[in-house]
Amino acid sequence: MNGNLATLALSTFMETVRDRIFYLVGIFGGIMLASTAILSPLTIGAQGKIMADVGLASMALFGLLVVVFVGSSMVRKELDKGTIVTILAKPVGRREYLLGKFLGLNLTLVSMLAVMGLMFLVMIFLTPGTFSFRFVGAFYLTFLELTLINAVVVFFSTCVSPVLAAMFTLGVFVVGHLSQSIRDFGVLEGGRAQQMVSEVVYYLIPNLEVFNLRGAVVHGEAVPGGHLLMATIYAVGWSAILLLVAGSIFARKELRGE
Amino acid sequence: MTIQAPVNFKAESPLPSSDIAGSAGTALHPAPLDREPGETAGRGEVLRVAGLAKSFRSGFLKRPIRGIEGVSFTVNRGAVFAILGHNGAGKTTTINCILDLVHPDAGEVSILGCNHRDCSSRARVGYLPERPYFFEHLTGRELLNFYYRLLSLPGKNMRARVDEVLALVGMEPFAGRRLRKFSKGMLQRIGLAQAVLGDPDLLILDEPMSGLDPIGRREVRDLLLDLKHQGKTIILSSHIVPDIEMIADTVGIMREGRLVRVEDLAGMTDGFSYTGHLAFDPGDWGGQDLPSWLPARHTRQQAGRVSVVVDNVDELRELLDNCHRHAVSVLAVDTRRSGLEDLFLAVNNDPDNHEGKTNR
Repeated sequence: MNGNLATLALSTFMETVRDRIFYLVGIFGGIMLASTAILSPLTIGAQGKIMADVGLASMALFGLLVVVFVGSSMVRKELDKGTIVTILAKPVGRREYLLGKFLGLNLTLVSMLAVMGLMFLVMIFLTPGTFSFRFVGAFYLTFLELTLINAVVVFFSTCVSPVLAAMFTLGVFVVGHLSQSIRDFGVLEGGRAQQMVSEVVYYLIPNLEVFNLRGAVVHGEAVPGGHLLMATIYAVGWSAILLLVAGSIFARKELRGE
Repeated sequence: MTIQAPVNFKAESPLPSSDIAGSAGTALHPAPLDREPGETAGRGEVLRVAGLAKSFRSGFLKRPIRGIEGVSFTVNRGAVFAILGHNGAGKTTTINCILDLVHPDAGEVSILGCNHRDCSSRARVGYLPERPYFFEHLTGRELLNFYYRLLSLPGKNMRARVDEVLALVGMEPFAGRRLRKFSKGMLQRIGLAQAVLGDPDLLILDEPMSGLDPIGRREVRDLLLDLKHQGKTIILSSHIVPDIEMIADTVGIMREGRLVRVEDLAGMTDGFSYTGHLAFDPGDWGGQDLPSWLPARHTRQQAGRVSVVVDNVDELRELLDNCHRHAVSVLAVDTRRSGLEDLFLAVNNDPDNHEGKTNR
């Protein structure tokens, strides 16, 4: 990795690690996973499935919260406070800076998912007959989904305020999980105009259901290797496009005097 | 115009429209840069700014507001060039354009021969912004390590260089303290430390002493004088006249977004800047008219006194000789070199320097 990218990514990572909100969400995630272990004995015969389902959903939810709320403000905060000017007055390109921030937040995401994933596996291990490495495939898909969401939030953060960036990103998250349904609904029930709109939504918003195999994994199915590969290409492709556009917008931005 | 080296200046006349570039983000067409006869292009030249212009859009209708216009100057190696102007004169905008933090509408900036949009040109530049703000969660040492890595300097020298710079700004005892616990003066010093970290060829300091208490100002001023004596090329903006007088070799005065005057501070003791006030008792003339040897143009009689103002040493000497020859008592003599402040006020009060006009 380019030296500047690594420096910027590590700096962003350290900042989020020292951020109390990050810790609070991490602790909350731990508490949620722990509570699963407490609640699951109440569901006779399906303890393992309930625990795995709630655990995987919690990981995705807390990862999403961190990505959206840290990501939406991380660039704007530096613009407002002025820390960015001393960085960009060094031999650092603007696209490089943005990519460094993205990678830093992704590093935070990886660390957070790793900790939560470990806690999850330990709890699953303690529940007889539930442990399986197929859950790692679900972790990986969650990581890919949140990487894509990270790129979405970085893209919006270069164009709009942090509040709007967070709202738009959450909107993409919701619509992204419904895009296949919207398309199917348009085809089956709608007129020509509705079909066109649903097609546009389908192709304009990433289809996040690609990454949601949690239900299947909980019910004992492993994620096929081919699916993991295609999901990786899909996430990397979408992220690259979003970051390229974000980089172009950011390169034109006036950093002072607006 | 001719200014003694190391800074050369050409007040810019409006550029022909063909020389003015389009919007930000497009390639900039360089404005023509006039040179002094015999001046070698780029010889010892650290910074060249030609025809720089920038306007901002404001309000609901996004009306353009002029930030700067037609700013041109060159700074040669080892010079200390100060940009002086009141708040809103365009000092910070000029610096931001030089560093490509804002994109100029027109003009050309060259740092050590490279276009300023090429980020590698900033490897040899140190910059301290006005009201510097850094990552509060880092310690002083961590912050300098971070900037050192961004400069892509050899990692094995990092610790030694950071120690050296911390010592230079007197921050060694606070190297392990988080920045959120730093005072404003400490932030300014750590800001200077990051600016000089890469041993840059050009230092750009935006209001380096603004907001500091007298002790902090003195410390920063002494540090800048040290850097000057080390031969660093420095551009600093300020509206604090005594600090500029003490540090800079040359001053450029900005008004309403234009660089309206550049003055070599070493040459300011002659001509413009000398004033002598003399007072006489009119009783010495026995109630008759004022003697003809008093310069009538600069003589006033009021409150039982005759006051004479002279604007150069020769005139003062001649006047005192006449007093002696005609046995006239001088009640008071007050001489002073009117310095940069008077020049600044004169430039600001000169109607020729107001909107739409450029003067030298």
